[in-house]
Amino acid sequence: MPSCRQTFDPRAALVRPACAAGRRARFVVMAYQFDFTFVPDYAGMLAQGVVYTLGLTVVGGTLGILIGIGGALSRTWDTRPFGELFRYYVELFRNTPFLVQLFLIFFGLPSLGIKLAGWQAAILAMVLNLGAYSTEIIRAGLQATPRGQIEAADSLALTRWQIFLHVMLRPALRKVWPALSSQVVITMLGSSVCSQIAAEELTFVANFIQSRNFRAFETYFLTTALYFALALLVRQAMHLVGRYLIVRRPSP
Amino acid sequence: MPLVSTRRLHKFFGRNHVLRGIKLDVEESEVIAIVGRSGSGKSTLLRTLNGLENIDDGTIEVDGTVLQVDHDDPGALRALRQKVGMVFQQFNLFPHLSTGQNVTLAPRVVKRTPREEAEDIARRMLERVGLGEKFDAFPDQLSGGQQQRVAIARALAMSPKVLLCDEITSALDPELVNEVLSVVRQLADEGMTLIMVTHEMRFAREVSDRLVFMHEGRIHESGSPQEMFSNPTTPEFASFIGSLN
Ligand SMILES: Nc1ncnc2c1ncn2[C@@H]1O[C@H](COP(=O)(O)OP(=O)(O)OP(=O)(O)O)[C@@H](O)[C@H]1O
Ligand SMILES: [Mg+2]
Repeated sequence: MPSCRQTFDPRAALVRPACAAGRRARFVVMAYQFDFTFVPDYAGMLAQGVVYTLGLTVVGGTLGILIGIGGALSRTWDTRPFGELFRYYVELFRNTPFLVQLFLIFFGLPSLGIKLAGWQAAILAMVLNLGAYSTEIIRAGLQATPRGQIEAADSLALTRWQIFLHVMLRPALRKVWPALSSQVVITMLGSSVCSQIAAEELTFVANFIQSRNFRAFETYFLTTALYFALALLVRQAMHLVGRYLIVRRPSP
Repeated sequence: MPLVSTRRLHKFFGRNHVLRGIKLDVEESEVIAIVGRSGSGKSTLLRTLNGLENIDDGTIEVDGTVLQVDHDDPGALRALRQKVGMVFQQFNLFPHLSTGQNVTLAPRVVKRTPREEAEDIARRMLERVGLGEKFDAFPDQLSGGQQQRVAIARALAMSPKVLLCDEITSALDPELVNEVLSVVRQLADEGMTLIMVTHEMRFAREVSDRLVFMHEGRIHESGSPQEMFSNPTTPEFASFIGSLN
């Protein structure tokens, strides 16, 4: 049997179709023909996936940072028993894969009688994961408080709690806000594994579409673009939140 | 009865015996200048007076509030701190708060003074240190001298019975020293009780009612500044003033 390569003649190919292997070769050589005609059919689904992912991020980000503030406070002042508890929590969540944490919550907790829907498990995992990372990030910010400022506040008879709230928190958040913003974005991108427990976020939608239209490249190319846009959006949103919540100055 | 009174005050840093039995009485409206060589315990003494440092033995009494060894009663500590203001070498303003907010913070959160009233107090205190127009400025927009005057206003806003000043001009450029010293002088004239650690010997001599010379953790010599400078009774103080010029 003559091999495909031996009989393949590019000029001849123009006239008559080459054998199967030759055609495949031509596909590699030639520019790939994108076919995005499926997009309108799935636009609604994609939009839902985007909103779902954004929702996970907003809820996970907000609650995660709040946990982080509480955790950082407990760790900084070693408030018993919370300081110790937060230490174990942080170590546990920072040293295990997000996917495994998600599975533990979704597949493991039902054994304890806690049965969560996909979206509930996804949010819980996001919050706990981000809570652990923000605890460490915010703690670093709190520890950077100059000693003199705490002493000044002490000498003004503020309580520890008042010092934390009025003297330490805002400058600490301001200092670590870029790191915190990055962590929120990282967690959002990580949320794509929630597709594994059938939480209908963006990657889940992408997998579904791809299984229908078999246009894997187009589908994931589009998904990549959407994640990229989401990341920019979340970064910008964090920047604005930071500006208004943290750096705010009263008008002069 | 003295306003501030310490007895048998001892303080260790590890095995370093830094305060070795301090007995100090300060009357109301008295201005005390503490001088001495580096490491003699001046800052430590000042910091024990408002509980920034624990003491290992002795008592501190300010206006009827008594602080004992290992003061684990945060209530008593804060009661004392409301009577003792402190100004630091490095100003230590809160950088995220405006001047006005720096001054109103403690009255508002510690004394629960209503906002308007606290702002009234703050404006008056800022006027007092010559910064009435800087209410809305932020610390990083002020010179060192201005920041230190805000720090003084911040301490005064709590109406302390006594003000502690630890080398409050040492971090300032020479041309900014006088604006701060003149505020201190004015406070002294108004009858504020002041305990200050200073290296400004001329100023100490002019303003203080009593000079306290610390040496190796003890009050080695004390008395009227004029008397002490013209007639030092201990060789250590004589050599200290000798080393100044
Ligand atoms: N937080 C600390 N931990 C350990 N040792 C300390 C601490 N603070 C002060 N000391 C030591 O205590 C002694 C007295 O220090 P202190 O700061 O009271 O001196 P000072 O008279 O204020 O000196 P200076 O003129 O340099 O400010 C010094 O030997 C110093 O090293
Ligand atoms: Mg000192």
